[in-house]
Amino acid sequence: MTWRRERWTADHPLPIGVTKRAQVGDLVRAGDIVAAGATLAGALRVPGARRLGLSPSDLDRELRVRIGSDVVAKTVLARVGRRFARSVTAPIDGRLLHVTVDGDLFIAPIVDRWTVRATLDGVVSRSDDAIVEIEGEAWCLQGAAAYGPNAIGELTLGVDGPNADLAATRIDVRLSGRIIVGGARVSAEVITRAHACGIAGLVAGGVPPAGLRVVYGDAVTASGSPSRDDRPTVLCLMGFGSGGLPPAVYGPFAALAGARAAIHTASARLFVFSTADIGRAETPSPDIAWQGDRPAAGPPADHADADTDGGESDHDEPAQTEEELTPSASDRSSAQR
Amino acid sequence: MTVSTGTEAPGVGAPDGVGAPVERTRIALGRPLRAALLYGREEASRRTVAQLALASGAEIVARVRATDPRSFVEAAQALRDAKPDVVVIQGGPKDQGALAELLEALRLGCGAQRPMPRIFALVDTGVADVLRLRADRFEFERFEAAPEMVEALRHVRRGGNEDIVLRDALIEDGARALATTNGTNALAVDVTERSTSLVLARPDGRVEAAHLVPLGLGMGADHVVVRASLDNVRRWLPWPIDAPALLDRVFNRGPATSEASVLLEMALAREAIAHALRDVADAGLDVAAMRSAPAILITGRVASLPKAGQSLLVLVDGLEPSAVSTVFREPDEGRAERIGMVVSVTPRRPAKIRIVRASGRSVAPVAPGSFGLIAIGDDVEVAVNGAGIRGHGRSGALGLLIDARGRPLAPPERDGERIPTVARWHAALQAAADRSAT
Repeated sequence: MTWRRERWTADHPLPIGVTKRAQVGDLVRAGDIVAAGATLAGALRVPGARRLGLSPSDLDRELRVRIGSDVVAKTVLARVGRRFARSVTAPIDGRLLHVTVDGDLFIAPIVDRWTVRATLDGVVSRSDDAIVEIEGEAWCLQGAAAYGPNAIGELTLGVDGPNADLAATRIDVRLSGRIIVGGARVSAEVITRAHACGIAGLVAGGVPPAGLRVVYGDAVTASGSPSRDDRPTVLCLMGFGSGGLPPAVYGPFAALAGARAAIHTASARLFVFSTADIGRAETPSPDIAWQGDRPAAGPPADHADADTDGGESDHDEPAQTEEELTPSASDRSSAQR
Repeated sequence: MTVSTGTEAPGVGAPDGVGAPVERTRIALGRPLRAALLYGREEASRRTVAQLALASGAEIVARVRATDPRSFVEAAQALRDAKPDVVVIQGGPKDQGALAELLEALRLGCGAQRPMPRIFALVDTGVADVLRLRADRFEFERFEAAPEMVEALRHVRRGGNEDIVLRDALIEDGARALATTNGTNALAVDVTERSTSLVLARPDGRVEAAHLVPLGLGMGADHVVVRASLDNVRRWLPWPIDAPALLDRVFNRGPATSEASVLLEMALAREAIAHALRDVADAGLDVAAMRSAPAILITGRVASLPKAGQSLLVLVDGLEPSAVSTVFREPDEGRAERIGMVVSVTPRRPAKIRIVRASGRSVAPVAPGSFGLIAIGDDVEVAVNGAGIRGHGRSGALGLLIDARGRPLAPPERDGERIPTVARWHAALQAAADRSAT
């Protein structure tokens, strides 16, 4: 486990129903919304090409509404003919979601909205309806496993030493929105209290597995459980139970305290966005064996072996972009695509 | 596991090239393969896709039935979250419409996934023609028979490299060889870091195989706890341990070095085998034939346990054999050895078993619930008869194990009764641990 500053990639899987998303080449900062969409309920199938007397491949040409657009009931979705016109209208308010191979349309009611935020300062390197991938430079600490949704906030030390446990009494609402470094161990009580107080995330040497089961359910495993729902975010650095942090890992936390940080739970990584020079922090891997299936997030191949050194401390952080999003691919009709 | 590909002649590899070349084999677990199963409304269809996934060693990440009550969007989201490498489809003409709808959900959910999942279908030609249209941009392959699809799935796991021999295939070869040699059904039980395999081979060469991933003793240990529950793992430990302490040990699994960690590994292995059997039964494979196989081969981590008695105990507790079986074990780095003969009886009252061997006959009393070894000498041909059981085999290094604990096997629930009982079972096979090591 090592602090390393280099270029990383972080992927952000998107749920179904994306409306807008950042495009390849866009500059983003951790915390920026990179995608937004709608949570959809049961979809209705509406005859399209058959009703219009078209072949499925010709339906795209006659669509009046882009796939992925919000529609209100009775909106004309497609229309053919002039004098004896035939049309397909939306039966409900909702989202025109999908066109089938045989030219039928799926319309689903919108029940909620969602957003996905960046966990890395950098440039969008891939963007489609399933994923937004960001590539950028940051200090990074690879953990053993992470649980809950991605978290972004100011890095704050919650303990006085690397072997101290984070006490529940040190958590209160004044720390809301921050990522707290919890030393050797955080208990289930601390995790639930932190979540109740609005803490963005917790980082600790270890978390008792029994506590994880209390918070995340009995199906929790040592591989971590990234999720999108409203749950606490926890990053276990060393393993499970209690794991005192080596000085070379804990020391830089003090130097980086106050900096913006993000926990990318799919890859179990802590990114810290700071130009602070914390030197070359190298520690041997902990004895605790952990070989979970790592999700696709890591340093780009051409930077994978890059060494960390203090010379990169003059790195310029990318400027924050406006949260102006471009339409997703599914916002465009098939003909435009 | 050691694979012999022939005796290497002296001088092979020497500069002058003296000697005959020997083919070397690369054995690998293969790439993890994530499979989503789409199947028809018939129970047979569900079983078929489950058998395909088990036989190919794929990890099942999603199951969607043609009559799935989830909405179109929910099904699409489930498939997107599953990130499958392959989608296995099976169904009849009646399921054609529902499967076509599920393929639309797949298009919505995984259309942007890179690489895109491949669709493997075990359907009639007519159904395949309809589904192929719905598959759109996905690569669609139809297979005539299940073995063809299993081979194709394994090909994906090999990453297209035909030089690699998958461990699954090796276990199946071992079971097949044992069945051919003995002229009886043979079962191979393999438990590794992240997989558990049960392979039943018949003398005519037919094989029923189940390779469950992830379910094992290292990376798969936490999955064993999730599936079996903590209490079911704990019940096999001959000492009291609270749930948090046990979870700590399971989540921080390392190599089994101490006696306590060996006993924990044994407990996990029992549950891994038991749950593999459950999946096998769920897929409609012949569990009764597996339990009554006259020859059983243990491989992998269970075969590498320090004592032969520990391997045998894990097997009888996890598999719960129901007949007379000769048990072999073959560690990954070692030779196969015959370790014992298991006689499973379920007497309702005290009974007797007649034991016949070349040196004479003897009678062993069997009380309900008893469990113990009868020293009978190394590698002796033995026939047993009585207490509702009849069979023959060869005793191994440990002798004859009479298991009259009954089926299904259930240790007492209360610690006060359970711990002495489980400790007695361990002691009976010299598999006990040093308590101070805990």
